[in-house]
Amino acid sequence: MEAAKMASPKSGPKDAQVMAQILKDMGITEYEPRVINQMLEFAYRYVTTILEDAKIYSGHAKKPSVDADDVRLAIQCRTDQAFTAPPPRDFLLDIARHKNQAPLPLIKPYSGPRLPPDRYCLTAPNYRLRALHRKVSSTAGRITVPRLSVGAVSSRPSTPTLGREQLQAL
Amino acid sequence: EALLGRGTGAAASAIGGSAAAVATSSPGGAAVAAVPPGKGGSAVWDAGVGAGSCLRVSAPAFCVCRFPLGGAVAVEDQPDVSAVLSAYNQQGDPTLYEEYYSGLKHFIECSLDCHRAELSQLFYPLFVHMYLELVYNQHESEAKSFFERFHGDQECYYQDDLRVLSSLTKKEHMKGNETMLDFRTSKFVLRISRDSYQLLKRHLQEKQNNQIWNIVQEHLYIDIFDGMPRSKQQIDAMVGSLAGEAKREANKAKVFFGLLKEPEFDVPLDDEDEEGENEEGKPKKKKPKKDNVGSKSKKQDPNAPPQNRIPLPELKDSDKLDKVMNMKEAARRVRLGPECLPSICFYTFLNAYQGLTAVDITDDSSMIVGGFADSTVRVWSVTPKKLRSVKTAADLSLIDKESDDVLERIMDEKTASELKILYGHSGPVYGTSFSPDRNYLLSCSEDGTVRLWSLQTFTCLVGYKGHNYPVWDTQFSPYGYYFVSGGHDRVARLWATDHYQPLRIFAGHLADVTCTRFHPNSNYIATGSADRTIRLWDVLNGNCVRIFTGHKGPIHSLAFSPNGRFLATGATDGRVLLWDIGHGLMVGELKGHTDTIYALRFSRDGEILASGSMDNTVRLWDAVKAFEDLETDDFTTATGHINLPENSQDLLLGTYMTKSTPVVHLHFTRRNLLLAAGAYSSQ
Repeated sequence: MEAAKMASPKSGPKDAQVMAQILKDMGITEYEPRVINQMLEFAYRYVTTILEDAKIYSGHAKKPSVDADDVRLAIQCRTDQAFTAPPPRDFLLDIARHKNQAPLPLIKPYSGPRLPPDRYCLTAPNYRLRALHRKVSSTAGRITVPRLSVGAVSSRPSTPTLGREQLQAL
Repeated sequence: EALLGRGTGAAASAIGGSAAAVATSSPGGAAVAAVPPGKGGSAVWDAGVGAGSCLRVSAPAFCVCRFPLGGAVAVEDQPDVSAVLSAYNQQGDPTLYEEYYSGLKHFIECSLDCHRAELSQLFYPLFVHMYLELVYNQHESEAKSFFERFHGDQECYYQDDLRVLSSLTKKEHMKGNETMLDFRTSKFVLRISRDSYQLLKRHLQEKQNNQIWNIVQEHLYIDIFDGMPRSKQQIDAMVGSLAGEAKREANKAKVFFGLLKEPEFDVPLDDEDEEGENEEGKPKKKKPKKDNVGSKSKKQDPNAPPQNRIPLPELKDSDKLDKVMNMKEAARRVRLGPECLPSICFYTFLNAYQGLTAVDITDDSSMIVGGFADSTVRVWSVTPKKLRSVKTAADLSLIDKESDDVLERIMDEKTASELKILYGHSGPVYGTSFSPDRNYLLSCSEDGTVRLWSLQTFTCLVGYKGHNYPVWDTQFSPYGYYFVSGGHDRVARLWATDHYQPLRIFAGHLADVTCTRFHPNSNYIATGSADRTIRLWDVLNGNCVRIFTGHKGPIHSLAFSPNGRFLATGATDGRVLLWDIGHGLMVGELKGHTDTIYALRFSRDGEILASGSMDNTVRLWDAVKAFEDLETDDFTTATGHINLPENSQDLLLGTYMTKSTPVVHLHFTRRNLLLAAGAYSSQ
């Protein structure tokens, strides 16, 4: 979809005109036309969620009607859940100082592909085949072929070296 | 020595940290304050005022407690004690803020020409701090009228910040905006000459209500220098960042900008008769001469870091073969210069529908990778040789392991193709980087992870989780093993491929880290940020060794020169700035582009700098001439400023326009052919 220069829709509903004006005030001049619809939908959902929460809070406090404090509380609670902000600067400086104190670890020579322990890699197979239970058949006519039941595949990662998967019988 | 005690538990509120500042001051005015990192408090002192140093503590903006903490506070002016104690209760009558500001404005406009430019630097930080003060103390109508009246007076390059400010009308708005909170708690640095400063101080202390003086002392750091006041043009070149300029002492640490010595090994002679035993594969490749290479190589470059300063992986046989190939190619390299410009080969991504967000090319120019907004990573082979992955385990068990060409046999011919698509990310891929040995590929994305892919199996090996916010850029170290990533959480992290947690965290930027690059000797990392500064970090201990200000927009491209001495940076303001790392100075400004510069690259021997931008052009600049020895004098050591000649036109060697393809990536092949990449956009 190509972004086009948008003039505020003159014949659109008032909400859409307000949204276009907001975008203009924030300095956004080029946007796809559907952006206004998406922003309006978001605004509607956000406001209704906040107001519902505020209603619950004011009901809990046994107030006759929803007032500004309830709305403020609702906004604060939702902000902590939905719109998380990056950690504050002093926290970052603190953990940075902590992390930077440790010397750089030495590198083991000749160790093949240098990857974290397998637990932290995405190299293990993320599936496991279920064991088949052999049913003992009483009818003599049926030829029972002993089946190889396949259990957990060996957890050795399939790295680009010449590794082999080994099938173990349960 | 005045020591401020750390706040007790009561002070450390649930959301804020405790304010503590430990400062030592030598008698006689040359105060040196070391602010411990990590605690939001900061101390300000009056460096230029003779005996007796003044220390004030400002608590972080979000700290609930209202009083400064700790022990002895030496206060210079007695009447201001009450002002200090009520630092966060009220900064004077809100209705009078407009008067204070216009009073200062009047004073500055009536001052002498030579001082006016320097004192005008005060307008912006004062305006923002006063506005934020009003908003924080919930005087909304006063804040609004204050903003309306004075926001038009500010410099044009602050307009984006002012727009963000205009949307912050309530105290609650400030809570979510980390950048503004950081701005409030960190000091805006101004460099002012002693004469101008004395003038300002005298004026502000004369008046009865010296609220502005309080704000100056609390929120601004004035780096005073002895010398001529700077002109408006000089100031304009250096300001623009969110935190003012850089303190001079921030750029005084020693930086080892030299290159690491290449290991010596035997180069097999072939029919081209290249030199054998003492061959040093220096990155500055010249045709191998037999006479003087040996003697030069024995001396240790004083500017180069010791070989084992940071642990680096040892060279494998495949790496040595690669270096031999590199040297052979270097011998056939074209020497570029103003007379001999490189040919440019442009790789256009078609049908990308504005989804191309990252590009990288291997060092030997054999593969090109694109990161896309649909969260895929696509790898193409540039040479006729197709991309092959290793056979499956079942097939591998069938091959003869003793044969000579086992390394070819393990590759699967049936699925060889020119293009391989890698799926795994759950958000647009904003950065990609090949490892120097071409075994691994890194990609970082909006989903907060950095993924390591194997280029032998074309599968994902590891996902490094650490940033919980979009990661804007990542790069492998020139020696492999380490990589750096920078993202929305305002830090850059150094990782090693075999550690699932970062090894170093580089915190200090006030806004997102948008661009991260390794120095050629892998001991330093440069990060460009949306707060319009570039910082150079030491990998060994995580310290910030250089801060470069001067850009007027977020930085999107960085390039180190091949000799390691210089750094070129490009931002949304369309300027390329050149920096001398050793001295910590801006040494050049290249004007010409009209839109964001997304790609910068030096040629292999550092003679040409190529820049690619959103304005659909590639420009070539003469790097040798730009870095010719510039005169430094007393003025430079005092102000940290070199008088830059207006020579952008002379340095521009060529402008090459694409039809409508913004240039996203530039790469010089080993023979100095310039490759460029971008996605065709049909507007």
